Amino acid sequence: MKRQLTITTEPIDEPALLAQRAMSSGMGAVVYFVGVVRGTEGTANIGALEYEAFQRMAEHQISLLLDGMAKRWPVESVRLVHRVGLVKVSEPSLWIEIVARHRGEAFAACQWLIDELKRVAPIWKKPVAGSS
Amino acid sequence: MRVTVCFYSYFKDLVGCAQVTETLPDGGTLGDLFEKLVARFPKLAALQKSVLMAVGVDYQDRSYVLRSGDEVSLFPPLQGG
Repeated sequence: MKRQLTITTEPIDEPALLAQRAMSSGMGAVVYFVGVVRGTEGTANIGALEYEAFQRMAEHQISLLLDGMAKRWPVESVRLVHRVGLVKVSEPSLWIEIVARHRGEAFAACQWLIDELKRVAPIWKKPVAGSS
Repeated sequence: MRVTVCFYSYFKDLVGCAQVTETLPDGGTLGDLFEKLVARFPKLAALQKSVLMAVGVDYQDRSYVLRSGDEVSLFPPLQGG
């Protein structure tokens, strides 16, 4: 399984990522997930989330997840970008692309990866108030 | 033996710093270390049940036997994704 993992403070450039999609002719499904910062955290309106990561461990733990994903589903490739630092409301903080032969494994792998990432990746967020 | 302890997220605010060193007898465990840290930073006591601990880049439980030079990390429940 081909893999690309990026943890970055740079804004996630979705058009550039889409333009870089590569898949073999036997693949028929591409699933994308984009996690976007909401305008509320609990009941409070916010302007942004400040993400903090223990980056070395996050990269290691997510790599282990990708190993696990490859054992469970016949996925051709996965690309994952998690942004850290200040991410404003409506901006993406997480971008995932999964390429597989069929939609069943692509959807299942993507759901699993997100659920597991939330469980094991040492990343935290702090709400930042919006400007009035 | 000496180990390094790194704090993440609001744990840094609770203890007032991002990193400390701690000494333990040889054979000391993560649980022993946490007890020493609670004695040093009492605000950690309330978080005993929710704290997550890693040695290097791997999660470990309180029975893990530490070695001199280990880098231990303590942090609250995760919020990524």
